[in-house]
Amino acid sequence: MIALSDYLLFGAVLFMISLAGIFLNRKNLIIILMCIELLLLAVNTNLVAFSHYLNDVQGEIFVFFILTVAAAEAAIGLAILVLVFRHRKHITVDDLDQLKG
Amino acid sequence: MSFEQLVFYAFAGISSLAALMMITVRNPVKAALWLVLTFISAAGVWLLAESEFLGLVLILVYVGAVMVLFLFVVMMLDINLAEMKEGFAQYAPVGALVALVVFGLIYLVVGPEHFGLDKTGLPVTHGPDYSNTKEIAVPLYTQHAYAFVLAAVLLLVGIVAAIALTLRRRGPRDALYQDIDAQVRVRAEDRLTMVKMAPEVEPDVSSKNEEEEGAK
Amino acid sequence: MLENYLPILVFVVLGILFGVGPIVVGYLLGPQKPDDEKLSPYECGFEAFEDARMKFDVRFYLVAILFIIFDLEIAFLFPWAVVLDEIGTFGLVSMAVFLALLVVGFIYEWRKGALEWE
Repeated sequence: MIALSDYLLFGAVLFMISLAGIFLNRKNLIIILMCIELLLLAVNTNLVAFSHYLNDVQGEIFVFFILTVAAAEAAIGLAILVLVFRHRKHITVDDLDQLKG
Repeated sequence: MSFEQLVFYAFAGISSLAALMMITVRNPVKAALWLVLTFISAAGVWLLAESEFLGLVLILVYVGAVMVLFLFVVMMLDINLAEMKEGFAQYAPVGALVALVVFGLIYLVVGPEHFGLDKTGLPVTHGPDYSNTKEIAVPLYTQHAYAFVLAAVLLLVGIVAAIALTLRRRGPRDALYQDIDAQVRVRAEDRLTMVKMAPEVEPDVSSKNEEEEGAK
Repeated sequence: MLENYLPILVFVVLGILFGVGPIVVGYLLGPQKPDDEKLSPYECGFEAFEDARMKFDVRFYLVAILFIIFDLEIAFLFPWAVVLDEIGTFGLVSMAVFLALLVVGFIYEWRKGALEWE
């Protein structure tokens, strides 16, 4: 049978990979947004696993709300990305430092 | 190893490998497609954890919608791929180190010593008439009604923000279209006016030029 | 419980085999003798002038994002339809408020002309 630690370690592996992805792709805003989606997926996997093993459905309801928030976040984040590209003609993260004093 | 475990490891392995490919490929379009594979296999893992409804919503909403959105944006932006990968080799050791340290810490907390089968026991198994959707739905619309309405507000904010940020009103001057009706309706009188005017006497050009040269 | 999903798993595995199998067989059995001329984009005519990827219009993006929002709305409607008997008037009212808020957004996008193409 599958142990709870298997699910949790799967979530940890996904979390780790997406964390490394944010480090590796520091230039590309799109990949960074995708990595954030993957971080949320890893956390959701943990919630689903705990909800299954504790036989408590509240965790899954929480996951549903997180999915909603993540979709809205992706939509608005990409809208901002389109605006950034329209103004600056590139999406290099290092150059988005105009607010630095 | 039971069959269930085999399926779990297959889905988890595919998901992790696809995630690894996603962060290493050059092309953002390919990265988005690898992310789709990650999400689909993760949905398989969720199905194994008996949360069928969420697994299907993950495929429907995420794979169906969010990834299409990502692909649209990637296609739309038309970015320089070579420039985007600058510094990849430079950051790789740091990224791998941080990831491994974080994974080691998480392993110490949630590893088999604390959450193995002998510690947690087997989950409750349900009969074939168990409906995960029903289990989720009853508390969602009654106990969590406030959060549910807040989710609607969040979606409303998403609609308004997306439209306000990206919708550009195209004025009549931005794009020039051929208006055939107007072209056919045009008459000569609308465009051309005959004006009577007195003939103008031409001044003597040659003498004027000579004067200017003398001044220099 | 999970045994009910066995046909789906068989279907997925067969689908992968049918999709990947011919590609692998073709790769293994087909002759592969690439040279510069074969690998060039065109054997006659012009070289490619520019990137094959072209920019999409931003309006495609707007349609996709509105689709996501209403997709999530439908995802919330499914479980509600399953348990409408059990949650009674309170569930009906909470869904009415949910839909009313999204209809406000729908009217907004309609009035702003986000749904018009030209």
